[in-house]
Amino acid sequence: MEKTVKNEPKVTIEVTERGPLRVAGNFILKDLQRDNESAPGEVWLCRCGKSSDKPFCDGSHRK
Amino acid sequence: METGKSFSGGRRYTNGEITVFWKPDACIHATYCYRELIEVFDPGRRPWIDMKGATTDKIIQTVNLCPTEALTWKWNDEEKNNNTGPEQTNHIKFRRPELMGAAAEEIPEQPVTVKIMKDGPIVIKGSFELINAGNRKEISESIISVCRCGKSNQMPFCDGQHRKTGFQG
Repeated sequence: MEKTVKNEPKVTIEVTERGPLRVAGNFILKDLQRDNESAPGEVWLCRCGKSSDKPFCDGSHRK
Repeated sequence: METGKSFSGGRRYTNGEITVFWKPDACIHATYCYRELIEVFDPGRRPWIDMKGATTDKIIQTVNLCPTEALTWKWNDEEKNNNTGPEQTNHIKFRRPELMGAAAEEIPEQPVTVKIMKDGPIVIKGSFELINAGNRKEISESIISVCRCGKSNQMPFCDGQHRKTGFQG
């Protein structure tokens, strides 16, 4: 039987410039602060500490 | 030098004298390894373990501080392993006996987990593509810790500033 080797990453983590962290693909998001777990497919996570919708970005970094 | 080779349940790294085994699933982020010996254990670097960064004694000492079996070690000289006592808390004999004499074995990839730590960073574990400042990098069975408080001096990675600034969220 032939084995297929996957080089394509299933998950991409992107540090956007002066913006949030984009996580896309097949991953599990565990929020230990708010005690929940999900598989959202894509999220934009706050990196500036100012979002009112943590852990997600709400655009506050621009203000 | 062989380094960062896959084995059952993680990766292994050697300096020719000892081999350090890394089992990401077992890590609880106690952070002893990089607080003690960042020259060898640097979560912001790839590969994150550099066996050339310190002496064998210092590496053994630091691996023994790991409170879980995430980091374990053995002598490459099997005879020396037989004479290793329990004061070497993280020798594979005491933490991961299944690795004694185990042959290298590729393991299926674990799903990527993205953890939001309490009042702390985003800890991402697994194999993924990291795009940072326009550069793409393949990260294989490893862990990165991304700053969430906005105050790190090692952006985009966490350097522990959230504790000093009292970050909440």
